Amino acid sequence: MDLFDISEVLGGKVLKNILGIIFIVYILLSSSIFLRNFCECLQIVYYPSTNIIFVILFFIIAICIVNHLQFNASLKANLIFVPFVLISIIFLFCANLRYFTPQRIFPILGNGLFDTFILGIGNIYALNGVVFIYFLPPLLKEPEKLKKIAISSVCISSAYLILSVSIILFMFPFFTGIDEIIPLYTAATYVEFGSFFQRLESIFLLIWIIAFSCYLSIVNKFAMLLFKKITNIKHSKPLIFPFAIIILAISLIPKNYAISKFYEVHIYRYFMIGVVFVLGIVVLALSYFKEKKKKVIKNE
Amino acid sequence: MNKIVRNIFILIVILVLLLAFVPSYTSLNIDNLAYVIAIGIDVGKNEKFEICFQFTQNGSSGSESGQDQKSASIINTVEAPSLDAAINLMNSYLAKKINLSHCRLIVFSEEIAYRGIKDEIYTLTNNSETRPSTSIIISKCNAKSYLDNSSPILENLITKYYEIFPNSSKYTGYVYNATLGDFFNQLVCNNCEPFAILGGIHDNSFNENSKFEDYSDIKSSDNTFLGLRDSQNIGVAVFKGDKLVGELSASETLCLSIIKGDVESFYIRIPNPNDNNKKIDLLMYPDNSRKIDVDIINGSPYITYETKFSGKIYSIDEDSKFLDSDTLDNISQTANIYINDLLTNYLYKTSLVFESDINGFGNYCLSNFLTTSEFKKYNWLDSYSDSTFKVSIKTEIESSFLVTET
Repeated sequence: MDLFDISEVLGGKVLKNILGIIFIVYILLSSSIFLRNFCECLQIVYYPSTNIIFVILFFIIAICIVNHLQFNASLKANLIFVPFVLISIIFLFCANLRYFTPQRIFPILGNGLFDTFILGIGNIYALNGVVFIYFLPPLLKEPEKLKKIAISSVCISSAYLILSVSIILFMFPFFTGIDEIIPLYTAATYVEFGSFFQRLESIFLLIWIIAFSCYLSIVNKFAMLLFKKITNIKHSKPLIFPFAIIILAISLIPKNYAISKFYEVHIYRYFMIGVVFVLGIVVLALSYFKEKKKKVIKNE
Repeated sequence: MNKIVRNIFILIVILVLLLAFVPSYTSLNIDNLAYVIAIGIDVGKNEKFEICFQFTQNGSSGSESGQDQKSASIINTVEAPSLDAAINLMNSYLAKKINLSHCRLIVFSEEIAYRGIKDEIYTLTNNSETRPSTSIIISKCNAKSYLDNSSPILENLITKYYEIFPNSSKYTGYVYNATLGDFFNQLVCNNCEPFAILGGIHDNSFNENSKFEDYSDIKSSDNTFLGLRDSQNIGVAVFKGDKLVGELSASETLCLSIIKGDVESFYIRIPNPNDNNKKIDLLMYPDNSRKIDVDIINGSPYITYETKFSGKIYSIDEDSKFLDSDTLDNISQTANIYINDLLTNYLYKTSLVFESDINGFGNYCLSNFLTTSEFKKYNWLDSYSDSTFKVSIKTEIESSFLVTET
């Protein structure tokens, strides 16, 4: 059972459809914002004279091609490239160790107790990937292993995030409040081994571009699966182009990088917390209590 | 029919994408680019800056053949109100787009550095072409003269020379490779101050000014060398904020290298404990286990620095007994006192004379505070001048090299 099935038990088809629309909007919105921000960085570094729409279009075409293949194809592509991403970040961490100033972890409370522990809760949006755990059970060969899969994927994501944040925090005194792509790219420009291995940032960027394409295709696939589930349509393939066009359209809404970043930092993060951590958990908790109540009544 | 439509659609998409990426390809095409290998920034006569760009001549830069021929470099100069304006003007003059991705050196004249170089450093860091490993040099003479006189002696390529000259810091400690990335980080952080390589040119002659109390007191532009190249890089230019406030001599630069852990071995000349009239030359190896603590006592920083050195004896005479443990202990003791004094004097110079924490002790002070606002309120950069230093050195001279006794 995934979150939709649970919500159907809790509030019938109405709740299932409402939840479905909210989650589809959330997934399309998040992928569009990330796509725009990633392409902005790409444009700054490599395509200064190319309109952003064409850079975004490259990813959109990749999404369409991958999703035209079977779901297994995108999963296998992910299986191949995710280790490369992990290795690239570990490599980036190790190669830049000599530039680290570990003392930058202090003052330990950062901008103060309130800022760190109350306002800092907003940073939980970095773990936005947990949304897929809600919809994972029907896709698993062995759904009983969901707990194990969920814990291990959260652990891997957290370790990956900690490594990325450590690189930025320990290397730069000025990037800590901004996004993660440009600082990591900047960190990659520091990687040099003698005069032979230099300018490795291109390789890093290539790995990140492939990984990002994989992420987008998986996200788009999930959006299509959710739509298929709430509308009971037979095939999801006709949805590929409409969904890809929606992602393209949303990613083109922000006028510039500043506005796109504003959406991500000030709007998206709270929307994500509301949808993934509040709405999802509330639905799960209410269903749990409803089931428990049913059992108690049954026993009586 | 469907297949034909699909193929036409794919063809159109490919064509559109190809055409869309043509401008980026054209602007980054090697035929349209002029690769700068060094930039020199001087005070202008009519404009704010006089900026010179050094290029290698086409055909000589990348060629591995023709080992006897040295690559010639071209220096073009332009007056402009800013670095970006200078690049723009130079693009127009060269009819090629200047690219900074191979720029190895950025030279500021001393005069510019005294005024402040914040804007230029920010601009260069913001440029996606510049590398963080680009060296920053503050030239005692004007930047153009420095570049004019920076011809490689032992290498064919000037880019190779620019790339390898800071490497001598690893075995001399007399130059510290200050890079654009480090300079920018130090400039924007509120717990350390930036520094740069001190460069200069000498007039290729020895005179009265060439005489020093200790040979390691030299700096760039002191007349210590006679050679084919007039430029030299010895010492460090110390900044407070973005303004130049002073210079470190060779021995003081060595102290900075020791504290930063950037030197692998270095040479010192200490008084011979067995004969006051003689000196003894040692090759020292710093231990990796250095310890830095910063405490706040009565509102002032109390900085303790501990490290260990091992060493070997270079100089030897007809009466050397370097297998005798008492002799080695005496030399160790003398070396200990010498290095201790050297480091202590250097540290007080940075705090009392320059009032600039180029050593980055502020990073070690951060743990004394719970929040960033408390640290900012303490104002480390201004409090550094009240610092008290305690240097603890442990030196162990192990032996000489091949000849142990005479």
